[in-house]
Amino acid sequence: MINMQKLLALLKDGHSRTVEMLAAELHTSADDIRRQIEYLEQIGAIKRIAFPKGNGCSGCTGCEGGTGCKGCMPANAESNMGEMWEVVSGN
Amino acid sequence: MSATIALLGQPNSGKSTLFNALTGLRQHVGNWPGKTVEKKEGTFTHKGDTYSVADLPGSYSMSANSDEEVITRDFIASGKADVVCILADSSQLERSLFMLADYAGLSAPCFLVLNMADVAKKRGKKIDAKKIEQKLGIPVMLFSATDTKSYDTFYATLERALKEKSHINVSALEAEYEKIDGYQNIQQRISDCTIPGYTPMWLTVKTLEHDKVVTAKLKNALPDEVMEQIEQQTSGTETAIAAGECKFKWIDSILNGAVTETKTKAALGKLDRIYTHKFWGKPAVVLTVLFGLLASFIPALPVMGIGSGVDAVNAMIRSSMLEAGTSAFLTGLLCDVLIQSLSYVIKMLGFVFGVTLVFGMLEEIGAMARISYVFDNTMGKLGLQGKSVMPFLVSFGCTMGGAAGARVIDNWGQKVLTIALAWAVPCGAAWAIIPMLSTVFFGAGAPLLIVALLLVMILHMWITAIIFGRKLVKTEDKCGMIMELPPYHKPKWGALMRYVFGRTKDTFFRVVKVVLLVCGIFWLLSYGGSTGENSILEKVGLAIEPVTKFFGMPWQLFLAFIASSVGKEGAVGVITALYSGGSIGTAFSEAMAGGARAANLNELLLANVTRPEALAFIFAITFNLPCVVALAATYQEIHSVKWTAKIALYYTVSALLLGCIAYHIGLLIW
Repeated sequence: MINMQKLLALLKDGHSRTVEMLAAELHTSADDIRRQIEYLEQIGAIKRIAFPKGNGCSGCTGCEGGTGCKGCMPANAESNMGEMWEVVSGN
Repeated sequence: MSATIALLGQPNSGKSTLFNALTGLRQHVGNWPGKTVEKKEGTFTHKGDTYSVADLPGSYSMSANSDEEVITRDFIASGKADVVCILADSSQLERSLFMLADYAGLSAPCFLVLNMADVAKKRGKKIDAKKIEQKLGIPVMLFSATDTKSYDTFYATLERALKEKSHINVSALEAEYEKIDGYQNIQQRISDCTIPGYTPMWLTVKTLEHDKVVTAKLKNALPDEVMEQIEQQTSGTETAIAAGECKFKWIDSILNGAVTETKTKAALGKLDRIYTHKFWGKPAVVLTVLFGLLASFIPALPVMGIGSGVDAVNAMIRSSMLEAGTSAFLTGLLCDVLIQSLSYVIKMLGFVFGVTLVFGMLEEIGAMARISYVFDNTMGKLGLQGKSVMPFLVSFGCTMGGAAGARVIDNWGQKVLTIALAWAVPCGAAWAIIPMLSTVFFGAGAPLLIVALLLVMILHMWITAIIFGRKLVKTEDKCGMIMELPPYHKPKWGALMRYVFGRTKDTFFRVVKVVLLVCGIFWLLSYGGSTGENSILEKVGLAIEPVTKFFGMPWQLFLAFIASSVGKEGAVGVITALYSGGSIGTAFSEAMAGGARAANLNELLLANVTRPEALAFIFAITFNLPCVVALAATYQEIHSVKWTAKIALYYTVSALLLGCIAYHIGLLIW
């Protein structure tokens, strides 16, 4: 089995993994995992999870205008939450 | 002589820096015909020759996944560029050479610029451009677009590339592709002139990758039965994955021996080793959050003090007003409604500040992302997907945010369950009033109560998942997620403080409005004047008290509980109105009799409400439905009146039940 298929097969057990963990389990570098993620995303085998930006909270002034809620989370919160990808079903 | 150069590279490869440095002010920015993609062109002269530069849109590869990529590809295939300058990020060549690997097989001559050489050097990477050049068969140079000195080498390489007009040596890459099942079969059916500008190898690989544009073009160029065969051989993602793998292998073979790096071990950081530990991860995260919440009491306590100061001032104003002969109604309105509400709001603000600071800080240093990793498997046990953690985390700020965040869950049943559970997470308003009330009633015991509430929250979510889960989610095979955790970093204090103060300010104005309004209404309803007669509200209250007592709450607290369904802050308004308003007669007579000090609301509360009753009340409002707006937001997300009503009813009943249990436990303790 080739590497990217091994990666997808690993995730079938239902456990989430960080990039570093995948690198350790597949005996490769984190950068190798990252390029695999990029490629798998491009061909539609995995999907980046995008959390809605303006989260519709009307409880604070930051939400007005629907440009993302500054009041519910600090301004650069999204980059501090890291990134997540899920396997697209049917693969 | 004049020549056209096209700049090609992934986003962040430094393409724009190079383009701007080359062309300066001689730029023209427009749109590509018929597309909303920006078209940037410019010119520069070097040694008397004029060059025009086309800055192609940044894209990941040469596949037709976006307008940008199709434009890029068509431009290159059209032959308008005399040479294509491919940029790659030297600091991560494994990844960034993908563009080059995907380009291999196109007919336009090219050269490779390994940009950001300075960054690579800093990271301990030594790159031998000559070796890479030998393997690729095209000019290759190390470059730093930000370093003006390196442009002489750039011009020299450009001149060489224009003279040599060389193409990438693809024999090693093609040897890899040939190992893929079906590659040769397809490749033999395509010739150099099937689609001009693209080699059979390149077109074959694109069919393996299910490139829609290429497939459509081939359909026009090839007989139907050939196309059918091709489509049969390329169905499924396996061929696409295999094609990608070939490119990676080829990149590795190019880099092998050409790049040496002083290996920095990709070991997990000390903290990550604890947080991502199979057994210790969860306790570590729970303790971190608990410790953070308890720490949030520290900035809150001095603010509580200020609130108490307002109480003292209030008492002074009240007695002097009554002494001066102001009417009891006016005195009550000012002291019991206005100033008393203000005192509570100020007391709350300390906690809003503290909790926002703690959560903001956890967010800033990257701890929140770890929390979502740690609870991934727990979500599975609740019948949810790992990504449900995010709406829960958002719900600590605002339940509406949590409901909207549940949009990422495609499965309707799981979405409903996620929102139903998110309701149990105490929102920002709860974090403002619960610690405040806990401190009023239990003093130093308040932190302990907060811990108990959080434990009950976990239990609540678990039971709720069992109750609702059976109908909403089916057990199914699920795949784990891939997570890229952000690196830990120090919080940006300026931004964090702006956020914390901004949010505290927002909360202040919102809470003042709600508390004043609710307090005013209930105060008027309960106002009995100085006649000592019971108001209508009091009569109703006393009538229902036998029932409310069953749940452990006197009628005043029960009404406050009902008000908390509208918004948690409402409960504070009701308490303020009913406990201080009721005392107006006594306070009036006390003042008339020359009593030194009118009763303070805190003391009144403590005198009228027993500890078990207070406990019942705090549990009931914490786990009551969050607020009417959250109810509306829930309906908006799940589009089901039935389920929205079910969840709301469930929360009202379970909150009363929890209050009842808390009351009886309280009776055992005190």
